[in-house]
Amino acid sequence: MRSMPPSKEGRQPLSDTKNAPEMVNITINGIQHEAVAGERVIIAAEKAGEYIPRFCHHPKLDPVGKCRQCLVEVEGPRGKQLLPSCAIYVTDGMVIDTQSDVVKKAQKGVLEYLLINHPLDCPVCDKAGECPLQDQTMTHGPGESRFVEAKRKFKKPIPVSDLVLLDRERCILCDRCVRVADQIAGDPLITFNERGNQTQILTFPNEPFASYFSGNTVQVCPVGALTSTDYRFRARPWDLEITPTVSLRDTVHSNAEINTSRGRVIRVYGATNDHVNDGWLSDKDRFSFGAINSDERVTTPLRKTGTGFEEITWADAIDTVSARLGAMIGTEVGSIGGANNTNEEAYALSKFMRTVIGSPHVDAQLGDGFEPQLAAAVIPRAKIDDIDAATTILVWGPDLKERLPVLYLRVRKAVRNGANLVVVAPTRTGLDAIATHVIRYRAGSGQDVIRKLANADKSMTAILETLAEGPVVTLFGRTSIAEDPRLAESVAAYGRTLDGAKLMPLLQRANVFGALDMGLAPNLLPGRISTTDTDASSHIEETWGPLPDALGRDTAAMLSGAVSGDIRALILVGADPVRDFPDPQAAEKALEEAEFVVAIDAFVTDSSRHADIILPAALWSEVEGTVTNLEGRVQVVGAALPPKGQARSVIGMLNDIATSMGAELTSFDVSVVSKEIATVAPAYQGITRDGIVFTSSGAGIVVPSQEAEIIVEMAPRYASMAPDAVPTEASGSAVIVPAQGTQPLGYIPTDQAVPMVTDRYTLHYAPAMYDDGVITRHAPSIADLVRDPTVGLNPRDASILAVANGSIVVVDGSVELPVRIDEAVPEGSVVLPFNHAATKGLQAVPAVTVEPIRDES
Amino acid sequence: MTSPIANWSPENQERANKILATYPEKRSAIMPLLYLASLEHNHASNEAMCQVAELIGITPSQVRSVSTFYTMFKQEPVGKYLVSVCTSISCHLLGGNEVFDSVSDAAGVGHNQTTEDGQISVEHVECIGACGGAPAVQVNYELIEGVTPDKARALVEWLTQTTPAVVLADEMQQLFGGQRSFDWGPAEHAGAIAPVPAFGPYGSAGGDQ
Ligand code: SF4
Ligand code: FES
Ligand code: FES
Repeated sequence: MRSMPPSKEGRQPLSDTKNAPEMVNITINGIQHEAVAGERVIIAAEKAGEYIPRFCHHPKLDPVGKCRQCLVEVEGPRGKQLLPSCAIYVTDGMVIDTQSDVVKKAQKGVLEYLLINHPLDCPVCDKAGECPLQDQTMTHGPGESRFVEAKRKFKKPIPVSDLVLLDRERCILCDRCVRVADQIAGDPLITFNERGNQTQILTFPNEPFASYFSGNTVQVCPVGALTSTDYRFRARPWDLEITPTVSLRDTVHSNAEINTSRGRVIRVYGATNDHVNDGWLSDKDRFSFGAINSDERVTTPLRKTGTGFEEITWADAIDTVSARLGAMIGTEVGSIGGANNTNEEAYALSKFMRTVIGSPHVDAQLGDGFEPQLAAAVIPRAKIDDIDAATTILVWGPDLKERLPVLYLRVRKAVRNGANLVVVAPTRTGLDAIATHVIRYRAGSGQDVIRKLANADKSMTAILETLAEGPVVTLFGRTSIAEDPRLAESVAAYGRTLDGAKLMPLLQRANVFGALDMGLAPNLLPGRISTTDTDASSHIEETWGPLPDALGRDTAAMLSGAVSGDIRALILVGADPVRDFPDPQAAEKALEEAEFVVAIDAFVTDSSRHADIILPAALWSEVEGTVTNLEGRVQVVGAALPPKGQARSVIGMLNDIATSMGAELTSFDVSVVSKEIATVAPAYQGITRDGIVFTSSGAGIVVPSQEAEIIVEMAPRYASMAPDAVPTEASGSAVIVPAQGTQPLGYIPTDQAVPMVTDRYTLHYAPAMYDDGVITRHAPSIADLVRDPTVGLNPRDASILAVANGSIVVVDGSVELPVRIDEAVPEGSVVLPFNHAATKGLQAVPAVTVEPIRDES
Repeated sequence: MTSPIANWSPENQERANKILATYPEKRSAIMPLLYLASLEHNHASNEAMCQVAELIGITPSQVRSVSTFYTMFKQEPVGKYLVSVCTSISCHLLGGNEVFDSVSDAAGVGHNQTTEDGQISVEHVECIGACGGAPAVQVNYELIEGVTPDKARALVEWLTQTTPAVVLADEMQQLFGGQRSFDWGPAEHAGAIAPVPAFGPYGSAGGDQ
């Protein structure tokens, strides 16, 4: 277990904290200013409008005072002293001079030193044009050097990982990359070596900087020493066009900017939204844009032929789709997907299905999530900022490091600042090393853990003591696709009983929370309305016209309906159920049996290859609109490029299909659709794309929000929807009150222990960060980072099966993989990577057989 | 899980555990553990650094960051006797370079090199704190002061021929040394048994012999 050095600055003051920070008076260059007590002088000065040059200082990293570029004069008992302003803290009455001759001489001197060994190869350096060293040499540098000796020489560049290259000659030893790796990512795999004359950043031999966050070091490096393999020599910063957006590689929606050059996405950089990502991105956020430029994109509508697909015109495609769908009864059509789209697209799909087609069968989840009402409307819902404020954090869901990496960073930060962390999962997670308590359980027996916690079982005493230290934020979700989704409901119900409880639902796919909020679930209507809430439905019907009466089917029921014949047509919207649905064979069969399948997709996938018509979909960076993250924060995604080829936004194609069917759907203009959402969907009352752009100063707005501009008055009941509405208890059993109505938890912990499966191994089946997903597969930079698949077994089970590390076993009679013996795998369980080429086709069932392959000779 | 130092000698395993127990913060044990690891592996090899990292709970890269700062943690294998000749200012002025040349010539290898039989490594080093007795030489960090080029040659030959199990400063000073910087005080009995400083608790000292 790696120990984590505590943060030197203690708990960060929260942005929305009620106790205002203590203010003190300081003097900067003869002018009085107010500053936050204990703040770094360099930050206080910046707020006061005095920019002090710096290299090693970074507001999100502990100060090190390494580069000395930020020297200022501070009056002390022994007269004025030159001190590094990034490493000293504001005190009352401090007198600071940032402009004196002494300071200027010091800054010039430091720069002259820094440039002694710097190769000055700016003409061939990626950083030139956005290089702090270049800029500050211009503004604060001496302009000439007295150094005539030979500079240090190093081999350039050397790879420190598959994604990052290091040019040691350019390095100014600011320690930023080392601190990002250590303090932020928790992967201290790059350090200063050969300290002295030859000080250099290096990895340990044969231990590359294999961090999920390595790209951040490239972004924070103040010179061109760290560059990314996929950007190196591709563009000059002054040629880049910048489009602000958020990443859709998971549901955190880390803020980012898309850099394009000559019509291609060339780089993705992190942008800072302190409520969401602190400026950090995961490498998946950063390096998967290659898929957008992929030559394998579907760029024209395609029609299935006997042998494959033929290209057809949009007019032909629209006619075919509308004719086929128009010939069916509404309830014979279902749509699966929509989680990879914007809110506006999801809204258009929801409206299209329910009004134009007349079908309630919509589902943005692929049987891999949990109860949509709970996910969309859990109360009291935690914001990401609440993680910073929590005394205790309970994580019981997917491995954050693998699935929601930037949220993992946030939890890490909170723990570093002193929060307790309790991690519950069947096997090892990325957070275990810094957890106060780790509970592991045999996959499938999570209910036992809840029962023990709820009944204060003796084995839980220490953990319960920690959980008693509120406020407690509970992050809940499914730990694996083989886990009963109702467990997440129980975890939420348990989490709600804890002191100062706040709950954060963990679904992982792109904009799935936005899709649910737009009603892409069989039991949800736009704006977090339950389909059974007649009052609210009638509000929506005012704009939409009558809603279908029938009960909606979820993805599983649609797929089985396609086999039984109840469902005749399926619309796949950026969905690949053959890969993502827990029972891939059932999904494949359904797509084969369905009378008509239309896939709105950017690639021919294992699912869309079964479609009769494929409509080319625009991808992230090609559509603008709003999206909603896992805390309910609505933010804006930008279009940096036109869609590739003839690809289109879903709104456009659905509008055309609707028109061709003689109906009217919505506007083609995203801003107008966004306004329609703001008037129709209660939780989104007043939240428009334009409003977010102009009023939220880039931070986005968490819905429901009272601060939103009121466009139309809604019924008082919805107008008063409070984000922090108090949950109620009803008739003895735990009840969660979503925005409207009540939602009983389906699965309450019982007093009975979970029956033991003894003849098989219970399955823990979860994807890693780099999985075999369609985007990862088509992004050249990260496609090769998929880890080799293994079957994780407990040492006891390995000895029972008489297998060693690397022995091949057969799982469920179908998948052959090498064994990895691991104490972190509970006895009686088996750990497999989901959505991996090697496990393709293996059904996510609660328990599987594992048989060694015996040598038959 | 087997300990990362399972293949170490039982004495050194015990020493490692004792060292770890001494420090409230495990990380503080990094330097003594690196000496121990060097003793086990002859130098601070990658393997040794990985073992130390695992014992302390940090990454090998972090260990290497410490280990490469100190020239006395050797990155490459060294011979049984490490002969270090000071060529810093005082020694340089009094013929340190000539002493080095003579050591190098006698051993047949240059700076940072080891004889083929793995007996002797030669290096020139920065000031070893014996300026008053310049030029100074160390064998496995045991000091000899006032060494002449001829004595240096004799020293190397003595090492090659007698291959002492323990090298002792007092003894070598008597045989090959000259002017001393100061009175060394009572005779030392513990010399070094390996190219690691003679630390009793780390088992690198020869003991009373
Ligand atoms: S590589 Fe860049 S970030 Fe890292 S120490 Fe050098 S200059 Fe700083
Ligand atoms: S910015 Fe202050 S020392 Fe580097
Ligand atoms: S200069 Fe040689 S010992 Fe000081």
